[in-house]
Amino acid sequence: MKTSFIAFWRRNLALANLGIVTNLEYRFNFIIDAFIQPILTVGIEVLLWLAIFKTAADGQIGGFGKQDYLAYAVWAPFLGRITISWMYEAMMVEEVASGSINTILSRPLSFFEYYLSQLMGYKIITTAFSLLVPLIASIVFELPVNYLRIPGALALIVYYLILVHMMSFLISIIGFYLTRVRSFTLLKNLTLLLLSGELVPIDLMPKYLEEILLALPFSSGVYIPLAYLSGRGDLHLLQQGFINVSYGILIMGLACIFFWKRGVREYTGTGA
Amino acid sequence: MELSQKIPKYLGIYKAFFKASLAADIEYRLNFLFLMMAEFVWYSTQLILFEVLYRHTSVIGEWTLSQMRVFIFLVLFIDSIYMILWDPNFSAFTDNVRRGSLDLLLTKPINSMFMLSSQRLSISHIPCLFITAAGLIWALMQIPDFNWFKLIWLIFLVPSGLSVIFCGRFALNCSAILFTRADFLQYIWYSLFRLGLRPDAIYSGFLRFALLFIIPFAMIASVPARILLEPTHWGMLLWSLVLPFILFFFLKKYWTYCLRQYSSASS
Repeated sequence: MKTSFIAFWRRNLALANLGIVTNLEYRFNFIIDAFIQPILTVGIEVLLWLAIFKTAADGQIGGFGKQDYLAYAVWAPFLGRITISWMYEAMMVEEVASGSINTILSRPLSFFEYYLSQLMGYKIITTAFSLLVPLIASIVFELPVNYLRIPGALALIVYYLILVHMMSFLISIIGFYLTRVRSFTLLKNLTLLLLSGELVPIDLMPKYLEEILLALPFSSGVYIPLAYLSGRGDLHLLQQGFINVSYGILIMGLACIFFWKRGVREYTGTGA
Repeated sequence: MELSQKIPKYLGIYKAFFKASLAADIEYRLNFLFLMMAEFVWYSTQLILFEVLYRHTSVIGEWTLSQMRVFIFLVLFIDSIYMILWDPNFSAFTDNVRRGSLDLLLTKPINSMFMLSSQRLSISHIPCLFITAAGLIWALMQIPDFNWFKLIWLIFLVPSGLSVIFCGRFALNCSAILFTRADFLQYIWYSLFRLGLRPDAIYSGFLRFALLFIIPFAMIASVPARILLEPTHWGMLLWSLVLPFILFFFLKKYWTYCLRQYSSASS
């Protein structure tokens, strides 16, 4: 048992390294991805919030002040970028659509594991670098961020990434049943933009909508970790986030197992 | 070839492109349906953002909710035209360069810029065009004493805004020829385009000047919305008319330069 765990660990570490190396291969590409894009996005959002606060009646919106919203504007695009999967999901969809998944199926590892570890490697390296952007902005502009809470918030994000990967996995295995599923990725990621609270803080939404969104696991991608970091929420909210993601993983896991087993049985390898 | 011969020829080619794109898009019906839904979600997010914000404030960057709705529907209307006509081609551009299929496209006996930008149309965006147009009319109806004759200006302002998107995206894509892997160009484009999705009044100082005259993303919808909603600013109107000519002049120069640097990837 111990040996099999070591083998599992080494295998996944190698895959995570593969994710890191692949993404660092083209450094200019990586710099744009990890730094320039977050800086541009943060800059635009900050300007929007500054414009909103120019006309805010008592310097407060929804019970929070300008600095609170600037903290949100600085961190939300950063967290949103970590907790979304475009590239690896596209690769997984392509593997199934083209039939090149055969090469993975014939190896002693699972398709799910192969891409999960690579995704984690990619996210770790991107996070490590691009975290500097909101950190520096928070320090320079003295934004209300509790730095001691960063590990807790990041732990929730890493946990949420498992759910994100499960959604990617489910979409890719729909490719066993349908010829083209690329649009599913687009629809899913745009919906998550809304549900996660990246677009607008969930606590600004009408009360009934706020309650629904907080009960869903997707708010654990941006709103809950950010609320915890910036003091909009407490430890109880973070715990709620972990619980929400857990039931999300459970439901998504069951759907993945069901569709994977049926899909692999029906699958006819046409590619490599 | 004379212009009188060129126009029917290009219209015929465009008709063929449309037919091919329609056939390709509706081949996978569920995928097509999901694409349409995704576009609705994307446009809804832009509307929801401001609808939620205006629940907590009455004015953002000089505009009330009614005025902001005009801006949002106008930017989405222009965006949907761009998405229908050009986006699929620009999204595939870097792959065409990397895989060498650009060679084949360059050898066709028609204008290379037309071929590269118009080969594929996004049919799934067509419903959005009608919905955003209807939304714009509805938003304008909410403006008290709106002078409907001002809509005539859109005949010039919409193409001007589209020229900013077209030339900006094409120029960035051209740069893919100069780099080995240029996925980052897409990232830069989407980040820059966000500047145009916000009203220009939220920017100030040099940034606002730059967005009007250097990287003129404010000309996409902010200035057209201002011309509709505020007293006519003749200087801006004139700038909107001149801008496309300037942009296409420099784009053609840059395209020629990039082509000179191009070494086929397929050879």
